[in-house]
Amino acid sequence: MTRPDTAIFRSLREAGRALSAPLAAMGCGLLVCSIIVFLSGTHPWDFLAVTWKGSWGSGQAVAATLGKTTPLLLTGLAVSIAYQAGFLNIGCEGQLTLGALCAATLAALDLPLPRFVLVPCLALAGACTGALWAYPACLLKQRRGVHEVITTLLLNYVAIHLAQFLVLGPLGDGSAMGRTPEIPSKAALDPLWESGALGVTAAPPAALLLALGVQFWKSRTVWGYEATMTGSNPAAALCAGISTDRLQRRLFLLSGAFAGLAGSLEILAVHHRFYNAFSPGYGFDGITVAFLVNAAPGWLWLSSLLLAGLRSADKWLQILLGVSPNIIVVIQAVLLLAAASQGRLRERAAALFERTRRKPGGPSFPAEGRAP
Amino acid sequence: MTASHFIPLTLIKATPILLACLGGLLSELSGVVNFALEGMLLMGAFGAVWASFVTGSPWIGLLGGMAGGMLVGLLHAGASLSLRANQIVSSIALNLLAAGGTGMFLNQLFEVYGTSPAVPGLPTLAQSLSAFFPSSMPAGPWVRGLSLMVPMALTLGIAVAALLKWSRWGLDLRACGENPYAAAGAGIPVLRRRFTAVVAGGALSGLGGAYLSIGELSQFVEQMSHGRGYLAIAALILGRWHPVGALGAAVFFGFCEVLSEWLAVRWPRFPHQGFLCLPYLLCVLVLFCPLGKRRPPSALGKL
Repeated sequence: MTRPDTAIFRSLREAGRALSAPLAAMGCGLLVCSIIVFLSGTHPWDFLAVTWKGSWGSGQAVAATLGKTTPLLLTGLAVSIAYQAGFLNIGCEGQLTLGALCAATLAALDLPLPRFVLVPCLALAGACTGALWAYPACLLKQRRGVHEVITTLLLNYVAIHLAQFLVLGPLGDGSAMGRTPEIPSKAALDPLWESGALGVTAAPPAALLLALGVQFWKSRTVWGYEATMTGSNPAAALCAGISTDRLQRRLFLLSGAFAGLAGSLEILAVHHRFYNAFSPGYGFDGITVAFLVNAAPGWLWLSSLLLAGLRSADKWLQILLGVSPNIIVVIQAVLLLAAASQGRLRERAAALFERTRRKPGGPSFPAEGRAP
Repeated sequence: MTASHFIPLTLIKATPILLACLGGLLSELSGVVNFALEGMLLMGAFGAVWASFVTGSPWIGLLGGMAGGMLVGLLHAGASLSLRANQIVSSIALNLLAAGGTGMFLNQLFEVYGTSPAVPGLPTLAQSLSAFFPSSMPAGPWVRGLSLMVPMALTLGIAVAALLKWSRWGLDLRACGENPYAAAGAGIPVLRRRFTAVVAGGALSGLGGAYLSIGELSQFVEQMSHGRGYLAIAALILGRWHPVGALGAAVFFGFCEVLSEWLAVRWPRFPHQGFLCLPYLLCVLVLFCPLGKRRPPSALGKL
């Protein structure tokens, strides 16, 4: 039988080949996760049903999930865009916190600006703060050769403590709660669609558009091509006349800006004021979001929806099944670990598949061109 | 507060960082990036509390702490060496796993949230000295608050330094980190050496975690490592991948922690969070200073 070799089949086969590694990783991850769930005394099927109910089962659940998708998608985008240039930005949590604080403080000033100017300006201010907070890490990497992972991590702690200090001290509303004054209603994003107490604002579609825009930039523009080249082989990129340092600096700042934007949108759309510890680790989740789909900006929506669903289901897991919400973090870690080792997992799976397929009376000669 | 208070407190705070840093040193000298120290500390702290709770003996707790750290080391080695995962991503996943897993186990095994019940802790230096030499030792301010693990950590530091400098195993290890191809050519089983180095590093970091839970306190608190694993990596960079440098950097970070707590007590009207960020901030600032030639092992992170 000849294989059909039309363009459609070829592209389908290529898509299958590209997807097989993440799918194998997902399969292994889910297997381990269900074993963990089983060991913790819950039937995996109940777990799945409750997770589905808590994330997509009702209008309110959908609104909660979509609301959590925005910061996850944007922090995932932040990690992914830095990774295009060969940098790992682990500092999203700090950049997000300070971006949110900056947006909340500026919004509370009640500037006499029309709404359609004010909201983008506030979002941009948050983004700029995030970029500024990413800058020292970039500087240390390029001047002193200190790995950016360690500096961004340390700057996270500095940012979180700094924000706590500022809302308890000079920027707070005077209460001992550790929060800023509520922002005026003209600075807040209105819900487009409401279900119960929760609404979906324009923030999730805006984040999705940004992610798709980054995918377009990466695959269709010269600058994006240069960035990909710098990430995969800096020496070759330098020889080809690309100023890699400047490119990496810009992308790193852009990455910080996306994380800061995630924080400011979270304030404008959801919380309407800055609370102490308002982020349940969105910045760290961004790493999982990005690496679950191999840092491809065009697929981030998928992984961020998955994680947002898990996050909005965690209290239901605790109420209905009595499972510690920490299991969400464990599942996330297992999926990330599986995704990180996907190349090798696929090889192993393929080898296993070959062996089982050829066992019952298969051809005894070695397969074409494959080393034993 | 005088030097006689400051110095023991500094040693108390520096001990977990030093132990984690030694663990990271073994792993990174063999050529495996190890940002999973935070997870090793946490798992070590939990393992120590659990083993001490079950058996009632803090010494078995210490072994449990080592086992907890080794478990994370085993997973890191398995993912990054056998499955060739990106070593940084694997470390981050393991830190997440330790953070979530300890919280989950706390709920499953002790049926509590946040903080474990109190378990038997390790004796302090003064207690164990007076057990061996009754009557002779007056416990001055120098040794009063010191856990037995403080001198143990310093001894381990010397042992690791000696092992790396003079033993065959240490030389092999450094060869694997500098040039794995040459090492393989000389007949050294590179992957196996790296595997043992990461797992041994896990045991050392697990001891650091055990110090946090049953040395300094006698219970486990969720997220109790609180970034010390990351400070340990920074100490590794500051100490230029050398045991003596690591000791100096760990003592420096311990001093920063003591200083920030002292300042917070000194100015109680100032929100203390402003001081809590001091160790991390000083660490970033120090990394800016050109302190000698800073060179990681050549093959760090490569396979």
